[in-house]
Amino acid sequence: MTTIAPPADPRLAEGAPATGPDGSARLRATLWTLGVLGAVSTGATVWLGIWVTPPDKVQGNLVRLVYLHPGVAWVALYLAFGLAALASLLYLWPRTRSLVWDRLAAAAVEVGVVFTACTLISGSIWGRPTWGVWWAWDARLTSTAVLLVLFLGYLALRRVPAEPHVRARRSAFAALFAAVDVPIVHFSVLWWRTLHQGATVLNPTLSPEIHGSMAWTLLLGIVALTVDFAWMLVVRYRIGLLEDRLGAEELDRAIDARRAEGGAA
Amino acid sequence: MNYVVAGYSITLGILFVYAVSLGFRRRRLARAVAAVEAARAPVTPPDPRSPQ
Repeated sequence: MTTIAPPADPRLAEGAPATGPDGSARLRATLWTLGVLGAVSTGATVWLGIWVTPPDKVQGNLVRLVYLHPGVAWVALYLAFGLAALASLLYLWPRTRSLVWDRLAAAAVEVGVVFTACTLISGSIWGRPTWGVWWAWDARLTSTAVLLVLFLGYLALRRVPAEPHVRARRSAFAALFAAVDVPIVHFSVLWWRTLHQGATVLNPTLSPEIHGSMAWTLLLGIVALTVDFAWMLVVRYRIGLLEDRLGAEELDRAIDARRAEGGAA
Repeated sequence: MNYVVAGYSITLGILFVYAVSLGFRRRRLARAVAAVEAARAPVTPPDPRSPQ
């Protein structure tokens, strides 16, 4: 008995695993473990941050937002956009050029945009009782808002129809251009006189200005949000892979339909 | 304390809603890909030794 399989699509050969659309059992187990770890550690951060740690001498209960806001900003700026810039570089480098890096960058940027929005919102909620305003055109806040707009532009650029490698190339340049703002956001509190306070942990002397249960809760918050980011990144990467598979299948069907039309005529 | 509760609720709420939407998007796409791939399943030609 002879079996005629559909032709292998070279567009899917790059980084497409030989698994079904739901992924392998190992991937599902990894996602489940990451999901449970992320939920438990985030829950523990909320419990410690709101009910266990003491209020601050200066900021009172508002200090409890410190267990969330820097963690969200850490994921957005350094993990998500750092990873997007690295993946874009690896795509542009001829020896490592693969659509895997393009998909990874796209996934990191989308998750990073959500975390950046959360950074701005949680910072604004902190700013209202501390500074008396929801928003100030301060260097740190403004550069972060610019970063959000730049990466929203990246996501819009990806929606412009193009051949996968053309889209990947222009997206990689856009990501590298947008990533230039990341060090500006980081050093803005040192370069300009800002309303926003200086770095608590990643300061120039690398001596954390937070101690005891507050320091541990802050660390746990950063770890929890990092695990949450990892889960979202893997799921978003899988979505990109499935979108590419679906796009290639639909293209093949359209080509088959045109051939059939040509044959009939 | 209201600002603290609002900060936690809104931030974690956004992340939760995004995570749930990711799960739904992945499931919907996986079903669509499975349906398309099933439609293009391997074609088995008739066996010449069969009585037909």
